[in-house]
Amino acid sequence: MLTSVFIAAVSLALFWMAAFTLWWQMHAWRTPEVLASTRFGRPDGGEHLSFSLLLPARHEQAVLDHTIQRLLESTHTDFEIIVIVGHDDPETTEVAERAAARDGRVRVVVDTHEKKNKPKAMNTALPHCRGDVVGVFDAEDQVHPELLAHVDHAFRTTRADVVQGGVQLINFHSSWYSLRNCLEYFFWFRSRLHLHAQKGFIPLGGNTVFVRTDVLREADGWDPDCLAEDCDLGVRLSSVGKKVVVAYDSDMVTREETPGSLMSLLKQRTRWNQGFLQVYRKKDWRQLPGFGQRLLARYTLMTPFMQAFSGVIIPLNAAVALFLDVPVGVAFLTFLPLVTAVVTFVFEVVGLHDFGVQYGLRVRFAHYVKLIVGGPFYQVLLAGAAIRAVWREQRGRNDWELTSHVGAHLTAAESLREDLPA
Amino acid sequence: MTSTLPAVTAATVPAQRQAAPTTCSTGRTQPPVRLRSSRPDLLLCGALLTAILVVQGWNIADYPTLSDDEGTYLAQAWAVQQGRGLAHYTYWYDHPPLGWIQIALAGWIPSALSPGSMTVGTMRITMLLVGGVSAVLVYVLGRRLSLPRWAAGLGMALFGLSPLAVVLSREIFLDNIAVMWLLLAFCLAASPSRHLWHHFGAGLAAAAGVLTKETMLVVLPALFVTMWRHSHRDTRKFALTGAVTACVLIGFSYPLFALLKGELLPGAGHVSLWDGITYQMSRPGSGFILDQGSGSYGVLHSWLYYDRVLPLGGLAGALLLLLTWRWSVTARALAGPALTVAVLAVVALRPNGYLPAMYVIGALPFLALVLAGGAASVAHAVVRRWRAESENRYLTGSRYALAAVLALAAGGYVVPHWYDGDRTAVTADANKPYRQASHWLSTKVADPKDTRVLVDDALWLDLVHAGYRPGLGAIWFYKADLDPAVTKTLPHGYRDLDYVVASPTVRRDAKDLPNVRAAIRHSTPVATFGSGPDRIEIRRIQAAGGAR
Repeated sequence: MLTSVFIAAVSLALFWMAAFTLWWQMHAWRTPEVLASTRFGRPDGGEHLSFSLLLPARHEQAVLDHTIQRLLESTHTDFEIIVIVGHDDPETTEVAERAAARDGRVRVVVDTHEKKNKPKAMNTALPHCRGDVVGVFDAEDQVHPELLAHVDHAFRTTRADVVQGGVQLINFHSSWYSLRNCLEYFFWFRSRLHLHAQKGFIPLGGNTVFVRTDVLREADGWDPDCLAEDCDLGVRLSSVGKKVVVAYDSDMVTREETPGSLMSLLKQRTRWNQGFLQVYRKKDWRQLPGFGQRLLARYTLMTPFMQAFSGVIIPLNAAVALFLDVPVGVAFLTFLPLVTAVVTFVFEVVGLHDFGVQYGLRVRFAHYVKLIVGGPFYQVLLAGAAIRAVWREQRGRNDWELTSHVGAHLTAAESLREDLPA
Repeated sequence: MTSTLPAVTAATVPAQRQAAPTTCSTGRTQPPVRLRSSRPDLLLCGALLTAILVVQGWNIADYPTLSDDEGTYLAQAWAVQQGRGLAHYTYWYDHPPLGWIQIALAGWIPSALSPGSMTVGTMRITMLLVGGVSAVLVYVLGRRLSLPRWAAGLGMALFGLSPLAVVLSREIFLDNIAVMWLLLAFCLAASPSRHLWHHFGAGLAAAAGVLTKETMLVVLPALFVTMWRHSHRDTRKFALTGAVTACVLIGFSYPLFALLKGELLPGAGHVSLWDGITYQMSRPGSGFILDQGSGSYGVLHSWLYYDRVLPLGGLAGALLLLLTWRWSVTARALAGPALTVAVLAVVALRPNGYLPAMYVIGALPFLALVLAGGAASVAHAVVRRWRAESENRYLTGSRYALAAVLALAAGGYVVPHWYDGDRTAVTADANKPYRQASHWLSTKVADPKDTRVLVDDALWLDLVHAGYRPGLGAIWFYKADLDPAVTKTLPHGYRDLDYVVASPTVRRDAKDLPNVRAAIRHSTPVATFGSGPDRIEIRRIQAAGGAR
C-alpha cells in the first residue's frame, strides 16, 4: 500500500513537471499568431540608436578577424566594436590591434584582471561604451549584417530595455550530442524564451543580447562572481521590471558551434547549472511582483536539477510498474511520465524537421534515429552535469578555474573544425 | 488548460502572416471568435437545448423497450461502482471498458444515494446528460465549421429531435457516449484559435471516443481532415503530430492494460485482448444492407421506420457536398462531417458485415450537420447567388418568397412525421411487462437469496437489488452456456435452476443455448406479462429443488 502511494505520488509529480516543461517548450507553436509574433518586425529604415558591440576574445586569434570583418559588414550606420583582450594574450591582441588600425569603428580594450572571466572583461569595457545600446557577441559568432537594423527597430517600436536575439547552434550533423544540443538551442531561443519574455522573467542568453547602456550601468554591469552572468543579468533586470523583448528569425540568428567534445559540453553545462544555482541563491528573483512569476523563476532556475532527477526516475518508475506487483491503477499512473516523455520526443522529431526547413539543412533519417536513440544518453549527460554542479557548489568551488576555457570557450583548434557550416 | 490563451494572443503583436483556411468567401459564414460571449448564439442554443432535453427526457424510462445491451453495460457499470472489477463476470475484452466506467461515474452519486436506482430505466437519465452535451457540441461544431447561426441551430434540432435520434439516444449505448467524445474532438479540431493544445486535446478526445466504442476508429480519418483544414501552414506539423501522438498514446493504454494484467495474448486458462478482437472481427455477418431479407436490411428498416429524413436526407446531402467540393464553400467547410458520413456508409455497405442496430448512432450528428449545411447551401444559392447590388426589388422579393416556400415545404413534410414519432416517444409505455416482471420477482419469490434465475441483462440489476445473488443467483441467461465459471455450478443443467424469465431476447437466443433451451422446455409459466411476441413469462422449472 505504502509503495503504491509512493509510486503514485512520484509519478504524478514527474508527470506535472514534464507536462509543464513541454507546455512551455512548445510556447511558440501554440497558435499561428504566437509564432508570427516571435519574429523581428520588419525595419522601417529609420536608424536612431547607436550601438557599442562588445567582443570579448581570449586565445581566439584564428577566428577573431573573421568575426570582426563580418560585424563590420553590418548595414547599420552607427556602431562601434570594442574588442576585449587579455593582457596575457599577445596573439589575440595583435589581431585586434590590426583590425582597429584598418577601421576606425574598432577599438581595443585590455583587461588586466589577474583571474580572467567573461563578466570581468565586459565590465572593464563598459565605461568605454559610447553607444546608446550595448550588444554582446562572442569571438566565434557569425552575425547577420542586418541584425543591428532589426534590433534598432525592435528597441524603438517596443520601447524595450533589453532585446535578446536568437542564437543557434548549427552543426547538428557533427555528433549525436551536437544534434541534441542544437535542438535544445532551437527550442530555447525559438520558443521558450518568448514565454519568459511574455511572463516578465527571463534568463538572458550569453550573446546577441542588447541592453540600453544607461540601464546596464544602472545595474552595475555584470556580476563578476557569477558563473552564469548572462542569466543573472536577465533575472536582475526583469526582476526590477525592465522590459525584455525576444525576437527570433532564422536568417537573423547568430550561428554558433556546439562544444567540441563531450567533456567540454559536460563542463559547459556544469558551469551553467552552477550559475543557475548561484542566481537562485542570490534571490534577486524574489523581487518579482507576481506569485506566478516567482514560481516560474524558482522552477526555471531549478530546472537542471529536476531534469537530472526525472531522467533517472522515469525509467526506474516504469520498471517498477512492470516488474513489481502493484495494482493495475497505480501501474497506469507510473506510465504517465513516460507518456509525456514520448510526446516530448515526438515534438523533438518534428522540431528537428522544422529546424532543417528553417535553416535549409538536410536532415536525414539517420539523424532522427540518432535523436531518439541519443535521448536517454543525453539525459544521462545532463543528469551528470547537474549532479556535478551541485557537488561543486556544495564544496564551494565556484571559481572559474574549471571553466577558464570559457570566455574563450572554443580554442583555436576546436573552432577550426572542418564541419564549420558555410 | 487553455486559460492562458487570451493573454497569449492579446493585442500586443498581431499576426504577421495571416490565417490559412479561407473557408469563407463571403462574410455570411464568419463565426464569432467566442461563442460563449455571443448572446444570440447562447439564446438559440439554450432554447434548443431545453426543447431537446424535454423531448428526450420525458418518459425516458418507459420508451423504447429496454434492450439487452443496455442491461449489459449498466450491470458492468454497477460492477465498477461496487469495486468488483470491470464486470461481474470475467471481463473478456468484448469492448474497451471506458464506456461503462463513464456510466459508473455518471451514476455514482444517484446510486450512492439510492442503490436501487441503478436499474436500466432509471439510469437512462445519464444518457440525457450525454445527449444534451452532444446536442450543444453539434451546435458549436456547426458554428466552428462556418455555418450561419440558423443552420447550426437547424443541425442541433435535427440531431436532437429526430425520432430516430430520440429513441436511440435514450438508450444506454456506448455509442452515445463515444459520439459525444468524437463531437468534442471535432470541435477542438476546428478550434478557431488553431491552438496547438486544442488539437492535442482533439487527439485525446478521439482516443476517449475509440476507447468507449471501438467502431469510432473508422471516423478518425475524417477528424484528421478536419484538423488539417483548420490548422495553419506554419504550425500544422506540430499540431497534427501532437494530435496523432495523443490519440495513439491514449489508445495504447488499452493493450497496456491487457499487458499489465497478463491478458494481451491468448493462453490457457485466461481471456485475452487478442481473443476479444478475434471474436469481434469474426462475428457472423448480417448480410448485405440492400439485400432484402438480410439482417442488415432489417436493421436499416428499423431506422427508417423512425425517421427517413435524417438518414436518407443526410446521406444524400453528404454525397452532394462531396461531389460539389470544388465549387461550394459550404462543401469544403463541412468536409469533416460529410466524410464521416461517407466512411460510415461505406462501412455499412460491406457485403457481409455485422451491422448492429446502434451503428447509426455514430452517424446521426454528422448527418444532421450535413443536412443543415445542405440547407444553408441551398438557402445561399436561392437568396444570394448572382445577386447584383442593383437587383430589381421584385426579383429580390421573389428570391425570399422562394426560400420561404422551400422552408415551408420542408417543414410541412418533416414536422408531422416527427411530431408523431416524438409523441410516441414521450407517451408510450413499452416497458410495463418488464416492470411487472421485476415487481413479481421482487415480491412473490420467498427466498431470493437462495433462488437461481436465468434472466436477461435488462432485468438483471432489478433482481440484484431485490436480493438475488449477483452472478450465480441472478444469472445472465447466456452465461449458463457460455461462461465456464457459471456452467460448472450447474452440474445438473437446468435442474439446478429455479426460474427462467423468458423475455423476447431469451426466447430468441435460446435456440443456440442448450441449457437455456432445456430450462424453457422443462418449465411452466407462473406469471405472464404482456402478450404476443413481446410478452415476458416467468417460468418455474419443474425439477427445481428435487435434484439439487
